[in-house]
Amino acid sequence: MDLRGSSVINFTRSAFGVVFRPIESATKVVTRPLGNAWNGMTHYNDVVKENHRLNDLVAFSEGSTISAIASVREAQELLSLNGLPTLAGIASCTAQVVGQSPSNFTQTVEINRGSECGLKVGMPVLNAAGMIGKITDVYNKRSVVMLLTDPGYSLAVKVVNIPAPTTTTTAAPGTPVEDTTTTTSTTTTTTLPRVTTTTGIPGFVPGVTIATSSTLAPLPGESTVPIGDVGPNQPGKSTSSEITVPPGLDVPLRETGALEGRGISRTPIVRFVENQPRFGAVRIGSPIISAGGATSLAPPDIVIGSVSRVVNRTGTLGPILEVTLAANLKNLNFVRILLYQPTSEKVVAP
Amino acid sequence: MIERVLVLAENRYARLVLVGLMVLSLQTTVFNDMRPFGVCLQVMVLLAASAGLARGSDVGAIAGFIIGLLYDLVLTTPMGLCAAVFAIVGYLAGVGQSLVYEPTWWTRMLLGSLASAIGMILLPIASTVTGATGILNVHVLFVALVVGVFNAVLSVPAERLCRWALTEPAAIR
Repeated sequence: MDLRGSSVINFTRSAFGVVFRPIESATKVVTRPLGNAWNGMTHYNDVVKENHRLNDLVAFSEGSTISAIASVREAQELLSLNGLPTLAGIASCTAQVVGQSPSNFTQTVEINRGSECGLKVGMPVLNAAGMIGKITDVYNKRSVVMLLTDPGYSLAVKVVNIPAPTTTTTAAPGTPVEDTTTTTSTTTTTTLPRVTTTTGIPGFVPGVTIATSSTLAPLPGESTVPIGDVGPNQPGKSTSSEITVPPGLDVPLRETGALEGRGISRTPIVRFVENQPRFGAVRIGSPIISAGGATSLAPPDIVIGSVSRVVNRTGTLGPILEVTLAANLKNLNFVRILLYQPTSEKVVAP
Repeated sequence: MIERVLVLAENRYARLVLVGLMVLSLQTTVFNDMRPFGVCLQVMVLLAASAGLARGSDVGAIAGFIIGLLYDLVLTTPMGLCAAVFAIVGYLAGVGQSLVYEPTWWTRMLLGSLASAIGMILLPIASTVTGATGILNVHVLFVALVVGVFNAVLSVPAERLCRWALTEPAAIR
C-alpha cells in the first residue's frame, strides 16, 4: 500500500505519466469522434437549454459586472490602505483542465501546470466564479486538483448572514379602508440594513452616533460622587459620560464553520456553525467565503457559494448548511491557482 | 540479450500489460467522457474480471493485480488499492466460471457483470479501510448497478481479448 510522500511511489507515478501520456493523447485523438457522437446523442437537449440559460445570465451579468469591478477595486484600495492582505497581492498561475479522474469515488481534475510554475500541494484553485478546490498532487508539468465536492475536502469558511428583509404594508392612497369591503393594499418588500434599535437605555437616542447619558439623581442615603470617579460598568450609576455607538453596526454578521465535500451527487455542507442568538437564523442565499487564517490553506474572502438549505438541529448544535457552489464544477476549463501558502507553512529565510 | 527480450515479450503477462495500457487509455479518455447516468464506466475492472473468466481464478488474480496496479498509477488513491480489489475480482470471476457447468456466452456475460459490480462495491470499502471518508454510501450501489449493466455488454469481447493476451507462449508457437 501507498506510503504517503514516498519518493519511490511518486517517481513511479511520475515516470508512468511520462510513458502513458503519449498513448493517452493518441487514444484521445482517435476516440474523439466517438465521444462527440455520444455527447451529441445524450446531451444535445441539455446543451440547448444551457445555452438559453447562459444567454440570459450573460445579459443579467453584464450590467452588474461594471459596478462589481468598481466595488472590488474600492475594497482592495481600502484594504491596502489599512495594511490588510488582499487577493490582488497574491501571485497566481493560470492553467487549463486537461482531464478528470476516471474514478467514481474521487472528485479530482488534472491541470497542465506543475512544479515548474511554482505550484505546491495545498494551494487553492479558482475559476472566474469562485473557488473550485485545492492542489493535492504536483508533478513537473501537471497537477491534480481535489474538487470542493470530494468527500476528503475540508476548508474553514465564513458565513455572511444577509440582513432580514423588512415587510411594510401601506394602504394605497385614497382608498377607504374601513367603510368598504373591497380594500386594496400595496405590499412592498424592502431590504433594509440591520439597525440596532435599543430602547429603555437612559440617554441613548437611536440613530445618533454619539449619545449622552443623563446624570442620575442619587438615591436617598447615597452620596454624590464626583464626575469620573465611578467606573463605567456600574449599571445606572454612570455619570455624564459619552456612549459611542460604533459606525458599522449595519455590517452583516459573520460566523465561521467548516466546509466539507460529500461526493459528486451531493452538495457540500458547512458544519460547526455556532447556534448564537446574536448571529440569528442563517438565511438561504447567504454568501459563503473562505475564512483564511494562519493555518488555513486558502486566503480569506474567496467566494465559494451560497447557502441553499439550512438543516436545523436540536439543542446547542448549530445548523448544517447545504451550499450551492458558485463555480460549475462540471464544466471547468481555465483555472487560476493562487500561489498562496499559510503563514504557518512559510519557510522563514535565515 | 535479444533472446531474453523476446522471451520477456512472449510472456503472457507482458502482453497483458500492453493490452492493459491500451484499455487504460480508453478508460481515461472515451469512457471518462461517456458517463451514462453520471457514472464513469469502468473497463479496467471488466478487464480484470474477464481475465478470470478466460483463464481461471489463479491467473485471474494475478492479472487483476497487474491491471489494478496500472490503474493505481493514474489515480490518486493509495497505491495498491485497486490492485488488491481487482485481484479479488479476477479471482472471484474465475471461481464463478469454474462453478458453471458448460458455460455459455450469456453466463460469462452475467459473471462479468456480477464481478464488476462486486468490484465497484469493494473499492469504496477498501478506500474506507485505508482512511477515506464519506464515500461509502447508497450511491455506491447505483454505481455498481450501472457499471455492472454496461460491463455485461462489453464482457464478451473483453473476455476474448483476455483469452488471447493470456495465452501460453507454447500455445502460440
